[in-house]
Amino acid sequence: MNITVGGGKRSVEAGTTVAQLIEGEKVENAAYVTVAVNDAFVDHADFGSTALFEGDTVEFLYFMGGGR
Amino acid sequence: MAKKEYEVADTVDITDQVCPMTFVVAKAALAELEIGQVLRVYLADGEPMLNVPRSFRDDGQQVLALTPAGDGTYDLDVKKLEEE
Amino acid sequence: MAFSPEELERYSRHIILKEVGVKGQKKLCAAKVLIVGAGGLGAPAALYLAAAGVGTIGIVDADEVDLSNLQRQIIHGTSDLGRPKVESAADTMRDINPHVTVKTYQEFLDSANIMDIIADYDFVIDGVDNFPTKFLINDACVMAGKPFVHAGIIRFKGQLMTYVPGQGPCYRCVFHDMPPKDAVPTCKQAGIIGAIAGIIGCLEALEAIKYICGIGELLCGRLLTFDALKGDFHTIKLPPRDPNCAVCGDHPTITELIDYEQPECADAQHGSAL
Repeated sequence: MNITVGGGKRSVEAGTTVAQLIEGEKVENAAYVTVAVNDAFVDHADFGSTALFEGDTVEFLYFMGGGR
Repeated sequence: MAKKEYEVADTVDITDQVCPMTFVVAKAALAELEIGQVLRVYLADGEPMLNVPRSFRDDGQQVLALTPAGDGTYDLDVKKLEEE
Repeated sequence: MAFSPEELERYSRHIILKEVGVKGQKKLCAAKVLIVGAGGLGAPAALYLAAAGVGTIGIVDADEVDLSNLQRQIIHGTSDLGRPKVESAADTMRDINPHVTVKTYQEFLDSANIMDIIADYDFVIDGVDNFPTKFLINDACVMAGKPFVHAGIIRFKGQLMTYVPGQGPCYRCVFHDMPPKDAVPTCKQAGIIGAIAGIIGCLEALEAIKYICGIGELLCGRLLTFDALKGDFHTIKLPPRDPNCAVCGDHPTITELIDYEQPECADAQHGSAL
């Protein structure tokens, strides 16, 4: 199925969960990433149980502080 | 048809200015007036005469008249419709 | 009060713009913006706000200028090494625009002083590199009803979002709580290209200018992200204000400001700028 991740098109298996997508996208620092699906945040606890559907838009939001 | 008269609230002389200060100085003078008041701008021929009236129109102001002053300069009457 | 001929010429490129004009420049000259951090983000923001004629600019930083800062903190020069950053920054700002009043705060921001400091300002710019202070700025601004822009940069990326009371999520609506120590790089090992700090810091200044002039669309409810290697800006639409948010929600559980512990880094300095 086709979804959009971070503004780019992706083709993923039907039934892919948020957790699986994070792994597939090799998201850095996955334990602290914030995820929004179709403009709504998904709780960390629900990453494994939230399935994605055709046409979904997924965004990864990261903590960004700075470097000295 | 009789020409409608209006009162000129203030004047500004930009004949000694160069672009873009021509419009900036004129605009600043108009900014000091109230909405509905008229500013008379003394401007030089050439670039100022071509650009300043158009710039006022782009800003939403009303150009009432642009008349030769007889000495190579022009008098531009602008009515303030919008805040500058 | 009318502008002098010098000011008209100085601000001519603003005044020509229909959306700014004389009225916008007067707003800028009457405005007060606080920049927290005189480092990678604060430096470009300060330069452009001074150039724009923001009437009062406050700058907060407890640190002194060191050599590694000069790669990106472009308000400071080699001759400023060892000087308090706020003094170095103030000198540059005043030189760019003598009409601007610069107020310096050579101190750490914490729960004890932040409310008093931000009270005097119309808009706050987050230019800090550590999460305790980012959360502190958010919470204080929410509690005080102050608009602010958050930003972060790391390696080749940057991001920013703006909070205006009543107009969308705050930083905590999105990022909830402090990450644990060492969870997110904040210290020397991360690295950053100086120009990225410049881009994001300038975008922060732009948010302040747009807010003051009342023009354009602020980054409320949006996180603007930048990937320098790809040369790509990507805007993430944020969910609306979280009614359960701990600080800006309908029933806040955070009602007092929190001084979180500092991130672990051998020579990290408290509250220091990016």
